Amino acid sequence: MYLSINWLKDFVKIPKKLTPDELASVLTLHTVEVEGWQAQSETYKQVVVGRVLTVAQHPNADRLRLTTVDVKKETLSIVCGAPNVAVGQKVAVALIGAVLPNGLEIKESEIRGEKSYGMICAQDELGLGTDHEGIMVLNDNAKVGQTFADYLGLKDTTLEIDNKSLSNRGDLWGHYGMARELGALLKAPLLPYPQPDEKLLEAEGKAELSVKIENKKACSRYIAVKIENVKTIESPAWLKERLSAVGARPVNALVDITNYVMLDSGQPLHAFDATGISKLGVRYSKDDEGLETLDGKERMLPEETIVITNNNEPIAIAGIMGGAHSAIKDSTESIIIEAATFDAVAVRKASARLNLRTDASMRFEKTLDPHLPEIAWKRAWQIIKGVFPEARLAGVPVDIINFEMEPVAIAVDFSWLKKSLGKDIGRKDTVGILERLGFTVVIEGNVLMVTAPTWRAVKDVSIKEDILEEAARVIGYNEIPSLPLAATLSQLPDNQEMELERKIQDVLSGTGHLSETYNYSFVSESALTKLHFDVNNYLKLVNPISEQHVYLRQSLLTNMLQNVRTNQFNYPEFGLFEIGRVFLPIAGEYYKDEKGELMPYQGKRLGILVAGPDGNNVFNRAKGLAELMLSSLWPQARIELTVLESSPLWVEKGQAAAISCAGKEIGFTGRLSAEVANAFGLKLKVAYVEINFKELMALYLSLPANQYIEAPKYPPVTRDIAFVVDEKILYNDFWKVLIDFHPLIVKAELFDVYTGAGLGEGMKSLAFHLTYQDKERTLTAEEIDLIQADLIKRCQDKFEAQVRDF
Amino acid sequence: MKNKLEKLRDEFLEGLADIKDLSSLRELELKYISRKGKLSGLLSELKEISADLRREAGEAANSVKREMMEKFDEVRASLEKKAEGGFVDPTVPGEKFESGQLHPITLVRRELEDFFATLGFSVMDGPELESEFYNFESLNVPPHHPARDMQDTFYVDIKNKQGEYDLTMRTQTSNEQVRAMQKYGAPLKAIMPGRVFRCEATDARHEHTFYQLEGVVIDKNINFGHMKNILEAVGKKLYGPDTQLRMRPKFYPFVEPGSNGEYTCFLCQGKGCRVCKQTGWLEILGCGLIHPNVMRAGGIDPEIYSGFAFGFGLNRLVMLKYGIDDIRVFNSGDLRFLKQF
Repeated sequence: MYLSINWLKDFVKIPKKLTPDELASVLTLHTVEVEGWQAQSETYKQVVVGRVLTVAQHPNADRLRLTTVDVKKETLSIVCGAPNVAVGQKVAVALIGAVLPNGLEIKESEIRGEKSYGMICAQDELGLGTDHEGIMVLNDNAKVGQTFADYLGLKDTTLEIDNKSLSNRGDLWGHYGMARELGALLKAPLLPYPQPDEKLLEAEGKAELSVKIENKKACSRYIAVKIENVKTIESPAWLKERLSAVGARPVNALVDITNYVMLDSGQPLHAFDATGISKLGVRYSKDDEGLETLDGKERMLPEETIVITNNNEPIAIAGIMGGAHSAIKDSTESIIIEAATFDAVAVRKASARLNLRTDASMRFEKTLDPHLPEIAWKRAWQIIKGVFPEARLAGVPVDIINFEMEPVAIAVDFSWLKKSLGKDIGRKDTVGILERLGFTVVIEGNVLMVTAPTWRAVKDVSIKEDILEEAARVIGYNEIPSLPLAATLSQLPDNQEMELERKIQDVLSGTGHLSETYNYSFVSESALTKLHFDVNNYLKLVNPISEQHVYLRQSLLTNMLQNVRTNQFNYPEFGLFEIGRVFLPIAGEYYKDEKGELMPYQGKRLGILVAGPDGNNVFNRAKGLAELMLSSLWPQARIELTVLESSPLWVEKGQAAAISCAGKEIGFTGRLSAEVANAFGLKLKVAYVEINFKELMALYLSLPANQYIEAPKYPPVTRDIAFVVDEKILYNDFWKVLIDFHPLIVKAELFDVYTGAGLGEGMKSLAFHLTYQDKERTLTAEEIDLIQADLIKRCQDKFEAQVRDF
Repeated sequence: MKNKLEKLRDEFLEGLADIKDLSSLRELELKYISRKGKLSGLLSELKEISADLRREAGEAANSVKREMMEKFDEVRASLEKKAEGGFVDPTVPGEKFESGQLHPITLVRRELEDFFATLGFSVMDGPELESEFYNFESLNVPPHHPARDMQDTFYVDIKNKQGEYDLTMRTQTSNEQVRAMQKYGAPLKAIMPGRVFRCEATDARHEHTFYQLEGVVIDKNINFGHMKNILEAVGKKLYGPDTQLRMRPKFYPFVEPGSNGEYTCFLCQGKGCRVCKQTGWLEILGCGLIHPNVMRAGGIDPEIYSGFAFGFGLNRLVMLKYGIDDIRVFNSGDLRFLKQF
């Protein structure tokens, strides 16, 4: 929203020495954010007054003319398309480098073979009206070479306010409200809002006009006034100037006056052509109801849109935009002014559904004071009468009042104010601040009884904390001292989950030399389909913004595969990890609300992905990384890879394993199948590990802390032994037999797997270092021989294993 | 036995004297002193000697073995020295070790977590898929408040019994305020970092998935001045001891009074530059005294306790810290980005 400083000065005295920068800063630090300011003269930078010296026909275009224009410093050749250009006219010339209010940048150009060094401007190009029929001809007192801003007498400066920072302050959406605020901040008195004399409000005659409000909630106030004997003419200069200053395009006097009053008071008004209007109504739209709005678009009305009707036919979308049929036309001679208060929620919803935001809807959706329509229509009438002295009030205004506002005093204890701020503002100052803002204050002992003005009571002021805010922000947040917090020792438990997460991140990015990645929580249908996941089992967004991000991920793999695509041409091999939540359509651990219903599962997962040219190699590395992570957390725990009961469909057949630690399954690993890799366009081989963070956390909480084990005093004995078994015998099954065979066997380390010559078809050799050790004594060769003989027997019985002779 | 040992020794030493290079030394090692060499073979015979003689033989074996090993090591050392001879360039790079990295948001998040821990704050975590109740209603954002607009909030495709969508992807880490109050009550001093979502088209400055860090302090007699103090400390931590805090009113439904917080621009020290858009200030946080309705939703009596809350956008902090100008890189998974931290 734009504010004109001259306009604000209509209502409040702003010290001359206050620069626009300082004024902007006052508002920013105490009320709303000012995004910037601009002297109006800047709007017409590089636009000057010129005199047309010659006009000749363009040799190559019937509708263009070649002109020369004197701009005092020089004489410019300009190609002009306007039919009304003539020798001797004084005109507005945009020089090369000018940027016009409509955004047009003037450059040296060649038009049909003729050079043009500027542009002679039409009214609309200067943001001063709608006229594009011809160039704007200036009056005689224009001086050649004078800046156009100087010619217009523009000395105003405009402030641009961030609309978002006004969202809770419906009262600040007009100059008067903002002037009131400035008055409070600058301690300057506020002039009363201009209203017509009582005499001017006397109606002449009687209008056939009625208003019926079907739904009270939709409309808390509706005033309709018929005004006769007006015309559709151009607005007077002062009015156009004011509107242009704040970026509103002048249209015609009738429309401009309603806009002016909106920008003045904050109350949107609408003017209907009165022709044929007698029975106005306010109701919600019906199914399949539509309306052509005054921007010429046919619009279907969404449900619960408030409409204004005439004889039950919609003629306007309440609070948003009027209809084309009842709009002000060139032929208009009498009008109906509507000043109303519509339900903020309904206007906001309809505006969102229609995708139509207007100056009116932006104000209505903030919740407006229902007292405002009355002073607004009167102000409009006052101006109309000034522009059209012959205009008549045709009948007494129809005024429907559907609201009751009982002023409620808010009790605010002075000592509470002081305690909450950490600063004593003082009684006198507190009262002064509130009164300048329009609050009524009564002091009862230590307590302030504060009554909010109606324009604040409708929306943002209802509790003592609101009063605290008023006092604090007017004084200035920066005037409040910084006070050290008295120590309260934390009584909350340690965050062990964070501790574990950090340990994992550190080992994987450290020893594991992986890069941590963050991916979106959302995945696409096509990616899920390629991985053979069934999208029907996935939670999805109601309102996704792209096809890529529709479903809620159930595995970190999906998006990590996209990471492979991103990196495969820059890095021949790499590893990534991510810790993040996945979402499943089953009950999880968090409550939805106080009723105890559980929300969907959203546990964390750790994903590790390894990509490289060799499939066996990446799978080995992935497994190794999982083991590294686990063994760094629990150096003494047993880590096992076992057959995965139901492998995901994306793994290469048989190339997946469950990962367990200390006897508990906590995740799995698998190698991506060639088919899925192709579907994703991956050139590298990929292996993946996924750990269920919650299971890991359970281990973290349950496994006892590592205990120091004294280094053995007696030497270990290591025997190497290789077994030849069927290749289908799994390492882990075999290993478990070895390691669990005898208490003296403390380690069974695989050091070689061999298949090929000398073993026979379908056989493999597994070679182990077997370590025997006793804490109490040195072992003898004999007893080890005995154990080992039994062990070999056991392996023969269980696996038909043969000892391989090296 | 002793003779056999000495004979073996002499044979070995003779061979050793003829050795000229490391490869023939290795052959000699295999032949005599490796695990399957002649010496081991001889030693294994010790087992068969009668117990009374075994001790003496054992000692002899040890002394022979020691002598052989010493001579062997001497020869090897001198050969190795010879082999390495010549000029050594000490500037040749060492062995190449690949390094891993943490995500830059993890780095900044940890920095802040640790900082707040020194101030006695606990770190908490909460759901990313969140109910309207915790994301909006409990935070004093009633139904139909503009903040709930479908344009801004991702809704999840599960309807409640009334046939409405009431599950969202949380739009702010403030969703944990009331959860924390309900779980731990007052006094409370905690931060809640995490991932948040907005239904918004992405470009260099906008992301639909980003990170925030929320903070809450509740106790008896907490006031606005206390909030300033903590936020000043954060500014000094982030941008150095001379950093100033500037506060100005800003509306958030869950605080009253509400404010935003700006810190002196670290790049120009407040003089005005491109990064701070010539203002000298960087808008970093939102904050305010916790609205009594929010306290009540959390089961805490606002007449007894008071508190403040604040929130930062972590992405913005990271972008300022490292000079990143496109927010989309965070979720890009691109190693050319990830490997820089």
